[in-house]
Amino acid sequence: MRLRKGLNDRLLGWKMAGGARETIADMIQRGSRNKMVVIGLSVIVVMVALAVFAPVLPIADPTPSEIHPEDQTLPPHWFRFFGYNVSKGDGHIFGTDELGRDVFSRVIWGARVSLLVATLAVFFSLVIGVLLGLTAGYFGGKVDYIIASTIDLFWTFPAFLLALAFAAALGPSLNNVILAISISYWAGFARLMRGQALAVRERLFVEASRALGAKNIRIMFTHVLPNCLAPLIVWASIGVADAITIESSLSFLGVGTQPPTPSWGYMLYRGIPYLEEAPWMATFTGLVLLLTILGFNLLGDGLRDVLDPRMKGLRR
Amino acid sequence: MEKLENPLPFHFICGTRPKHAEQKHLWTAADGGCKGKKSMADLISYVIRKILLAIPVILLATFIVFLMLYLTPGDPIVNILPPHASPDDIQKLREKYGFDQPFIVQYGKFLYRLAQGDLGQSVSRQTLNLDVSDLIIQRLPKTLELMAIGLTISYSLGIPLGVYSALKQNSWKDRSVMVFTLVAYAMPSFWLGILLMLLFAVYLGWLPIEGTVGGFKSIILPAMTLGLGNAALTTRMMRSSMLEVQRQDYITQLRSRGLPESEVIFKHALKNAMLPVITVIGLDIGWFVAGAVVVETVFSWPGLGLLVTNSITNYDYPTVQGCILVLAMFVVLGNLVADILYAFVDPRVRLG
Repeated sequence: MRLRKGLNDRLLGWKMAGGARETIADMIQRGSRNKMVVIGLSVIVVMVALAVFAPVLPIADPTPSEIHPEDQTLPPHWFRFFGYNVSKGDGHIFGTDELGRDVFSRVIWGARVSLLVATLAVFFSLVIGVLLGLTAGYFGGKVDYIIASTIDLFWTFPAFLLALAFAAALGPSLNNVILAISISYWAGFARLMRGQALAVRERLFVEASRALGAKNIRIMFTHVLPNCLAPLIVWASIGVADAITIESSLSFLGVGTQPPTPSWGYMLYRGIPYLEEAPWMATFTGLVLLLTILGFNLLGDGLRDVLDPRMKGLRR
Repeated sequence: MEKLENPLPFHFICGTRPKHAEQKHLWTAADGGCKGKKSMADLISYVIRKILLAIPVILLATFIVFLMLYLTPGDPIVNILPPHASPDDIQKLREKYGFDQPFIVQYGKFLYRLAQGDLGQSVSRQTLNLDVSDLIIQRLPKTLELMAIGLTISYSLGIPLGVYSALKQNSWKDRSVMVFTLVAYAMPSFWLGILLMLLFAVYLGWLPIEGTVGGFKSIILPAMTLGLGNAALTTRMMRSSMLEVQRQDYITQLRSRGLPESEVIFKHALKNAMLPVITVIGLDIGWFVAGAVVVETVFSWPGLGLLVTNSITNYDYPTVQGCILVLAMFVVLGNLVADILYAFVDPRVRLG
């Protein structure tokens, strides 16, 4: 029995490593059966589609040049069920804000900013993290000591605190927010990459490749990196959720995206003084923000189960 | 916890090399505990080493915080002087605050003053020339109060929920708890704060909307906002830890001996399952520090977080520096506490 089990394992190993390895199609099939992936991905697809097509969608101008006093803080039409006087407000499903701008269209344009910032920030931190983590994990030794201690230094601090410090120092602008998040978020990716690279470089195929005379750079990027992709993809998805949280928190505190560019954090901030008068300003913006973050978190959690069931519990 | 499983990278900083493999694995879980004795001396040297390891982290914090001043586009000098100030006046004031010296000199002076507990003077108009350390000490109790109550809320909610959900594993009850944790974790704290405000302050009118005028009542909403996200993490950890413990042989053995289920769970399983959750209390401080900045701004809670936000808008960088440094200190201290607690509590942690 035992022998057969061992043999099976080995055969399976060969199968996975050899020609009959699991295809992308298999993965997609497995993913489509995972509820978390499906729900997360649908939310993300809808949000991304709305964000990308915002300029051509038939919605109001998010940053009109003129302010109409009569449009200020109009309740959404369906708020009549809650006893609001909606005689004036029509066509605004999320109502209007204190300057008479359509909240729905600002939410969608805000998605553009949030998603762009989050994706770029995660991309940059992924690049920094992968390069440093791969170098540290692959070469080991002194290089590893130096890089790993730098990683741990940055890892110790909550990303948000670092991002706040950098954003406050660099001054509020879209580029600076991306920079601030990238600087503070890369350590997570680097840690992950280093750990994976440490494990993968001991594998036989790496040795085989070296025996065939492959250069370090080639081994790193054609053998080690592809074998570490699964957890990186998972973390990237969760990272986008984190980056959206950080971006909106920064904008909320006034060091992120600056008005008049619509951004979720700032819209929520502006909603607080109007909480009694116009609760729709903050509630719907926050709802969309929560949905987006939840979508990326769900996708990440689901992908983790799909790509590598052994990684369960990776996240605290 | 991940932290401890990783080979420690700092040995070169404090001058110790990693010991040999067999020494590192003095304590192994596989054979049910310890092979050697963990002596008091080992523990003390471990604690001292951990404290030494915190020094580079604190230095990095001071460096980042100092760098802020260099990167700032808004000139604090121009900000405090009236708009019609002559370039001469600006230059004079710049010299007075030492802004005209080279980077490394300024950093050295900054560290020197820091060592004496001097964080500089505020340059904002409202609090001009007041000591930053005084401003911080004034605000610190409020933040600590908020964090303490938030921590209490998060643990008193997270631990029972996690245990409950582990005991009802895979039932709809378990699933609904898990969905709750997913949402609570993803919820940005400022939106949660706004919702709680809307419900309890605006509609129900039970609690004050912001500030501290309501006495104890006014801390409930901010503390809840701060605690709920962490409660989600605690629930998840507690659940997985409880499930893990329940699979252990000694629990099966207790059950087979005929102990009542309640005794097995609450006397034996719970005690062991709590350990990993309690030890990360230090790591939670990182979450609370980051959360406090946002939550205090939402509720105008006069703690360090609000001071940071206000100072940023006033271009009062010495104050921002001081606050962020103090908050970073919290985090470092929290990590230290986590490491040390973990070593004391769990004999399997390697001290090597």
